[in-house]
Formats: sequence, C-alpha cells, structure tokens
Amino acid sequence: MNRINQLFEKKKNNVLSIYYTAGYPGLGDTVAIAEALEESGADMLEIGFPYSDPVADGPVIQASSKHALDSGMTLDLLFKQLKELRNKVTVPVLLMGYVNPVLQYGVENFCKACAEAGVDGCIVPDLPMYEYEELYQDVFLKYDICNVFLVTPQTSEERIRKIDGLSKGFIYLLSSSATTGQNLQVSDTTSAYFSRIKAMGLKNPTMIGFGISSKETFDKACLYANGGIIGTAFVKSLQSPDPAKGVRSFMEEFTGTVSSLS
Amino acid sequence: MKAGLKVCGMRDAMNIQAVTALHPAYIGFIFYPGSARYVGSVDPELLTSIPATIKTTGVFVNAALEEVKRLIALYQLKAVQLHGAESPEYCAALQPYTEVIKAFGINYSFDFETLTAYEKVTSYFLFDTLTVNHGGSGKRFDWSLLKQYRLNHPYFLSGGIGPDDVNELASIDDKRLHFIDVNSRFEKSPGLKDIELLSTFFTLWNAAPAAKNYNDMNYFVNEKGYYGDFGGAYIPEMLYPNVEELRQHYLEIINAPDFQQEFRALLKDYVGRPSPLYLAKRLSEKYNANIFLKREDLNHTGAHKINNTIGQILLAEKLGKKRIIAETGAGQHGVATATVCALRGLECVVYMGEIDIQRQAPNVARMKMLGAKVVSAVSGSKTLKDATNEAMRDWINNPVDTHYIIGSVVGPHPYPDMVALFQSVISEETKKQLLEQTGNDQPDYVLACVGGGSNAMGMFYHFINDKDVKLIAVEAAGKGVHSGHSAATTALGKEGVLHGSRSILMQTEDGQVIEPYSISAGLDYPGIGPQHAHLFKTTRAEYVSVSDEESLDAGLLLTQLEGIIPAIESAHALAYLEKMEFTGKENVVVCLSGRGDKDMETYMKHFGF
Ligand SMILES: Cc1ncc(COP(=O)(O)O)c(C=O)c1O
Repeated sequence: MNRINQLFEKKKNNVLSIYYTAGYPGLGDTVAIAEALEESGADMLEIGFPYSDPVADGPVIQASSKHALDSGMTLDLLFKQLKELRNKVTVPVLLMGYVNPVLQYGVENFCKACAEAGVDGCIVPDLPMYEYEELYQDVFLKYDICNVFLVTPQTSEERIRKIDGLSKGFIYLLSSSATTGQNLQVSDTTSAYFSRIKAMGLKNPTMIGFGISSKETFDKACLYANGGIIGTAFVKSLQSPDPAKGVRSFMEEFTGTVSSLS
Repeated sequence: MKAGLKVCGMRDAMNIQAVTALHPAYIGFIFYPGSARYVGSVDPELLTSIPATIKTTGVFVNAALEEVKRLIALYQLKAVQLHGAESPEYCAALQPYTEVIKAFGINYSFDFETLTAYEKVTSYFLFDTLTVNHGGSGKRFDWSLLKQYRLNHPYFLSGGIGPDDVNELASIDDKRLHFIDVNSRFEKSPGLKDIELLSTFFTLWNAAPAAKNYNDMNYFVNEKGYYGDFGGAYIPEMLYPNVEELRQHYLEIINAPDFQQEFRALLKDYVGRPSPLYLAKRLSEKYNANIFLKREDLNHTGAHKINNTIGQILLAEKLGKKRIIAETGAGQHGVATATVCALRGLECVVYMGEIDIQRQAPNVARMKMLGAKVVSAVSGSKTLKDATNEAMRDWINNPVDTHYIIGSVVGPHPYPDMVALFQSVISEETKKQLLEQTGNDQPDYVLACVGGGSNAMGMFYHFINDKDVKLIAVEAAGKGVHSGHSAATTALGKEGVLHGSRSILMQTEDGQVIEPYSISAGLDYPGIGPQHAHLFKTTRAEYVSVSDEESLDAGLLLTQLEGIIPAIESAHALAYLEKMEFTGKENVVVCLSGRGDKDMETYMKHFGF
C-alpha cells in the first residue's frame, strides 16, 4: 500500500505536512531538511520542484523557486536526491510543482522516476482534471502515484464529488482562493465552507493548506480536516548555512502539542 | 477536397461511353428488376471496358446474397449499393468481395441511430429520398435532416439532385459528404442521360468554390477548447470557477442581439470603426506590389487592442463583475483597458513589467490619468510574461468580483477564441474594403506581427478558410534569432504549457520558460496563442521573424514614404516586405496594428534625431 494511504489509516487527526522547495536554501539541502523534519515530527513531506513561472505562488515561494533554479536545480538532480532521501526517511513524500516541467520530462518518465525514487504522490495544480482523467490517470495508477487535487471555497459540490472519485491519497482543501503565503483567517465563511466539506462525507481524507502559519491556525484547520499543511511560514524560517537546525526550532512550536493530541 | 460525382442508372452502350468521357468517380447500374432503369442481362464487356479509375457500381434491392456475389464476379463490380432492408451481416458478407455502400431512405421519421450498426461493415452510406420504390422518385429529401447525422462515416448524397443545384450543393459544409449521386433529373428518358446537361453540371461543379468552412482541417476551436494539439485550460483550481463561468457563457453573451448592437455601436461611434484600408502608393511603388495598410493605428487609443477591451468590458458587465485587471507589454492594452474602465466606471488595475514601465512611459502616464492603478511586475525578465503572471495571481486572490481582460489570444480556453472573435472585425472589414477597392475580397498575402497574436488573428480570421490567401505572421527576432536575445517563438520554441494553454513556447530542456527579448515591448513574449501554434503546425500560416534593426528601419521608411509613424510592433510586419518578392500584380494587406507615438523615445535614440 502507498505510504500516504498507510499514514491516513493509522493517523486520522492532526496530520502535519510540511512543504519546502527542493534546492533551497542550498542546492544540496533537500535531504538534510527532510531528515530533520521527520525527526522533529512531520508526518508527511511536500517537496516543491521549482518552476520559472509559479502563478499560484506568493512572493516567498516564488523567491525560493527562483533561488533553487539559479543554483541549478533540475528534475534529474532532484530524483537523485530523492533516492538518497528515501534511504533515510520513511514518511510519505509528495512532489509539488507545475505541469510544464512534467510534460517536458514526459509524464510516463516522470511517474516512473517518482516510483523509483520512492515518491508517493504529486500535486500539480495546473494539470486540469479533464486532461488528467483522459490522458494521464492510467500512468499515475500504473506507478501507484497519488495525484492530489485542490478544492477551494468556490469549487462546486458536483466538482468536489468528481475530485473525490478521481483522488487517491487525500484532497487538498485551500483555506481560500489565494496564492500561497496569505494568512489563514478562520472567519464565519471559511468555517462554514470547511463544515460543508466535512458534512459531505468524502471517501478521501482532507488536508487544509495555504495560509497556515502558526500553531493556532494549524489547530483550527485540524478541527475540520485530517490535518494541515505548512508551506510559506516554514520556507521563510529556512536559513543557510545549517537549515536543519532551524527546522527543529520551527517544528517545536507545532509538535509539542500535536504529538500529545495524536 | 470537394465531393466527387456519381452518375447512376446507365444501360445504353453509347450513352455509357459518353458519360465515361466525363470521368465521374462512380457509374451505377441497377440490377433491381423492379426499377425502370433495370440493366437486364447486359453484356459484361460493356462494364469491364470502363477504365478502372471509374468505379462500376451494382445497385441491388434485397437480392439473394449468392446472386449478388455471382454478379460481382461476372461484371467485376468495384462497388455494390444496397437499397433494401439488407442487414449489417449481409453487408459484412459482401465486404471481402467489393466496396459496400449502404443506402438509406431519409424522411422526418428516419432514426439515424440505425446507422451505427452499419458503420464498420460499409465503406460509405448513401442518403436518398425515402420512396416505396427504393429511390428514383426525382425528389429531394430535406437535407437539413442530415444535422441529425452524428457519425464520422463518409456518405453519398442522392435523390432528385438536378442541374440547378450546384450552388446549394457547394454550400454544404460537411467534410463527410464524399460523393454526389445524380440520376433521373439528367435524363431524356429512363436510363438515357442528357449528356449536354450532365457535362454543364460537371463543369459548374468543378468550378464551384468549396464551402466556406469546407476543410479537411479545422482551424478553429473545438468543443473541448482545443485547436488540434493546442489550447485547453491548464489552470489551478482557484481559477476554475471564473474560467468555467466564462466558458459556459461567452458565446451566448457575445451572440445575443443586444450585445452585438451595443458592441458594434461602440466600435463605430467610440472607436471610430471601420478603420480605413489604405492603398499606400509610394510604398507599393517601392516594393512592386499593391500594399494595403489596415489602419488599426487610427482607432481610438491608437491600436487594435481596443476592439477586444470594448468586447470584454461589456461581457464583464453581463457577468456582474465590478473590478477589472489586465496585463500589458507596450502599454497599448493597458491604455485600452483603462479607457473602457473609465468609460463604464469600473475599477481598473494594470500589471506591467518594470522594464516596460520605463520604455513605454507615455502609456503609463495615460493609464494613470485614466484612473487606473499601474502595478509594477518585478519578477523574471520584468516584461509581459511577468505582468501576466502577476495578473493571474491577482485573479486567484480575487475570485469573485474581478474580471481579467487578457490582451491577446493567449490564456486558458475560452480566452483565445473570445479575443479572436472580438478582433475578427479587422478581417471582416478588410474583406469588404478589398472587394470595393479591387473587385476581389481575397488578397494574395496578409501580414501581421505576432506578440501573443491578437492583431494577427483578427487580421487572419476571415481569410483562414480562403486557401489561396497566404498568411504571414511576423515574430520579433530581437538581436537575431540565435543571438540569445530574441522573441522568435516558433523558431526557438517547443510545445508546452504557458499561462493556461498548451502552445509553443521558448523553454529550456527542463521546461523552464526562457526570458525573451525584443526592442518592441508588445512582441517581447516567449509564447504565442494556441490557435497560432495550430496554424503554424499545420502550415496554414507561415511564421517568420525580423530583427530590432530591420523593424526600426521599416518604421522610418513608412514614416518618410507615407507620413505614418507606426508602432515598432507593427513595423515588424512592414519589415518583412523587404524580404518578399513581387511581380507588380500582387495585392498585399499589412495590419498596421498601432501608431508609434509611444515609441518616439526609442526611435529618437536609435536614429539620433
Ligand atoms: C501596436 C501593437 N501591435 C501588436 C501588439 C502585439 O500583440 P498581439 O500579438 O496580441 O497583436 C501590441 C501589443 O502590445 C501592440 O501594442
């Protein structure tokens, strides 16, 4: 069974997933950050493969992507790093990025490389559902790669049902329609939206992301979903030359209470 | 490809010879004893001596299978046409021996679903008028019933087609119509054809123009939002509700009479359309061709961009949007957007690359005076691509009340089609003006510059299915196609996804977008619209490029020969004239997409005025 499915089988609440950009702050930091994250209690990792035109990202992740690209990050290099990472880290790993690099790599080559490197899933926000279903789903299934779809407060119920049907792994709930790096404010409307999704009884677990930056917002997210994803706030905390050290102090805030809850 | 002809119901030897000389694709012989044109036991020699390029066809009605096989062998029939209640199994049994055409009598109660079972066991269908005598009534059926025909299987059209039907037949816009079957309306008596009538019909048919959209290739968008391999809507979920709302409503809104009325009225009274088609005499002399300039530079705000913004602002209002965003390169689209927002009282935010803000300062000032907020895009190459990224981010963060007016035929479906529709007024007018001025609505060449491709698509639109009109799209080569400082997308690009659609774009092996370069801010973009990618790949249009230097020279030349200062974008299209060869007879239309006021500083610096 895929590591993502295994995770949600044994842990239903307060699942903590961390996003960071591959090759940032240092080109070779990808593995060390993953190890430090697992040690300090992350349940799942989302590793961004950088793209020149990340339209769904705010300034922080844009900057980390540009920095990684300028340092020489490529998909080939990332897959090498991921093989090494898999020897040291057991939590599920997802790759997150944009569709054009995947198309140039070749969707089949990409999925195969993911499987060989021990990657469990992908989040490709600009890969449309129609093209996924028609052209690529068979390849993803063949290599047992979970493709994770996003849902926003504006996504219709019909479409959410369709996404639930096509998803394996989990569904990524955006706290609001926004680029990455905004602050999550759980207002009446967002809590109504989260409650609405919760009441739909989806077959897939849900994770809330975009805008979770503190223990407080993470806890709020966990009221409505199986867990939360921290991205921008984490990337901001990473600093050369020893990013792993920063990881532990960043994670303390979250894991202290999180592990006591789980 | 136009449909071929079949002549049916032959039996007289001399008459057969005369029809053979006309070279129809098929000649039919009726082996049904109940028909007035029954061949009887005709000498096999008469059929076997017909050249092999004409398919001899036996027509049968519910005949015994073994008898049909015997006659196929005896007469060496190249095809059989079955007019009775023959089953799919029956057709399948004959397929190994000859080509099988299954005929169906059509009337208002015909169930087109019955055809599906016959698709695999026949080469063609034949649609005939339903009669008790299995055809031969001399009456047509209502051809509009064929709208219900959904399969891709090719067919013959038959039943009562007469000498006067050429034009109507030529206007049938259906590439599945492979052959036209004529018979009784061309006869002196049953089985004896009037050769004179037939020969006139053949001549007229061969000369008739193919239907407007009668192409083997569809150059326009399909129902999935694709142009061949290109197009689609590669957008994150955050943009889906807005783009889907547009996709569902754009055609219905645009085609509504009240929308068209308001759109056309604004184009006329506010923009100043129709823009002139001007025969540039001194430029024509220089290049030895009749050079016509489509004067989009004379539009209000100075470029073609306003055609699109007028259309989109009306559409945004219909969708109930309160806030407008746009990207801009040269600033012309930004100005055109700020203008319509002022006109309709809507909030306006324009994203513009930091470098473009510097090199197109007059347009920045205009936008500000018009009340728009101009936001500097500082990422990437700080030009049009980055401004587009920022506009998309804005739209993601403002999903409810905002409409994004994209300025070119790029972006997710339906933008490329919608913008092309609004810009198509350029070629719509050009055709009328050419007809008035030259007596022919088809020129030899049409040229336009391509950034994202909106003025080019508007200029090409109504010529795309005129196969004899050569379409030339001119890209910006910057300092030279292979200099590393270029925006010549088709020369340097590969297929990929940028700004929501699958198209051709400049990118690394790794799929990272390459920063383009051109002296012209409006052409400084690493991609082209998906419809252009399709026209390029199918070779319907030719994609070429000219350098900074060449376009500046062409701008100066037009200024000094005709007293028109063109935008540097438009000067790219003009510059390509220098590389073409003419004989003095050609009619050439160049889209003069905009005026050069905004580029004065660049011109001055370059020429040292
Ligand atoms: C005058 C003029 N022509 C052409 C263009 C290029 O755009 P498109 O290729 O969409 O016509 C621009 C863009 O700013 C322009 O201002």
